[in-house]
Amino acid sequence: MRKPLYIGALLYLILIIPPIRSYMESIMIIHMLIQLPLLMVVGWFLGKYIVYKAPKVFHAINENGVPGMILIVAITMYWMLPRTLDEALTLPQYEVFKFISLPLVGLLLADSWAKIRDVGQIFIYLNYLSMFALMGWLYLDSPIQLCNNYLITQQKTLGWGFIFITASMIVYVLQYVFIDRRRIEE
Amino acid sequence: MNKRLHNLLLICFSLVISFILFFIGTNGFQAFTAESARVYRLMEEKPLFPNVTLEDSKERTYPFTMFQGKYVLLTFIYTACTDVCPKLEMNLAKVYERIPAELLGKEIIFLSISFDPKRDDPATLEKYQALFNSDGDTWRMARIMDEVELTALLDEFGVIVIPDGSGGFTHNSAFYFVGTDGELLDILDFQQPEEAAHKVVEVIQNNMEG
Repeated sequence: MRKPLYIGALLYLILIIPPIRSYMESIMIIHMLIQLPLLMVVGWFLGKYIVYKAPKVFHAINENGVPGMILIVAITMYWMLPRTLDEALTLPQYEVFKFISLPLVGLLLADSWAKIRDVGQIFIYLNYLSMFALMGWLYLDSPIQLCNNYLITQQKTLGWGFIFITASMIVYVLQYVFIDRRRIEE
Repeated sequence: MNKRLHNLLLICFSLVISFILFFIGTNGFQAFTAESARVYRLMEEKPLFPNVTLEDSKERTYPFTMFQGKYVLLTFIYTACTDVCPKLEMNLAKVYERIPAELLGKEIIFLSISFDPKRDDPATLEKYQALFNSDGDTWRMARIMDEVELTALLDEFGVIVIPDGSGGFTHNSAFYFVGTDGELLDILDFQQPEEAAHKVVEVIQNNMEG
């Protein structure tokens, strides 16, 4: 059961290595859609281990998964503001906060996702679907440069990235609804 | 029942933390982009214009302190720029037209500072300023030759310049309104020249009366 701990820690170290870090941050879409999610993956692996080690603590503070989920939504929304990506590049305290808060999201997700049950999961899923669509529209349609550290073409690329994610999520919903699962399971 | 209360409290707690996160992260829901945050920070700090040496389109060289006692409305540009700079300068020209003639040069100086000193020599600046009817005296265009001074100035005023890979630069744009002692008074929206002119005249007239 130590395996997730090692995977998480290793991935974390790789992401912290300065050349890798600065490369990822030099391209807007990699920064937002690869580095940030990978930091959450780090937290998810570490979370698997920590929740397994101390289930009682999580039971006490996050019994139904809702408090955890609220924080997850808040922190991820926070990192989707155009400003925060910029600040992470120019102000070290934001960068440090990024490397702490996003693994925390992953950790909370590992604990909360199963706890919020079907209804909660569907709610969160649709919430993110519309949020990504909105972000895609914001970055594509904005006539001004939202981030000082990135060029407007990078901003457009990121917009298309968000649209792609939204489309994939819709496809997932459609196949979930229309494909008859019973036959596959047989 | 006790358990429900416990869960409810935890939910409230996480909501409060989320609220604090956004409140601090956006300066009290005011600044959602780094540009607005930059303006917000500069307005708090009110940095002094660092002492730099300017070389203008008439090949005159002088320190910025020469403008002491006068207001300065300035922009950062480079002449090879094709997108935002012409717009920025055109709007600066609109502000310039709206300032009463008796104030120009006496109470206020317009200044366009190039951050591309290699290409923007006095001759280039001279040509560029003709496009905007800038006379080179009450509205000057100048470069800063010393790289250290230039970087210090851009840093102090939070101007971020990134090379776009094809010989140009991308940068954030605004009108910077500098007071009589070189202190930054205000950052004005360059897309609202009427408003900027109004504000500038108001400040100068208040100062003359008071």
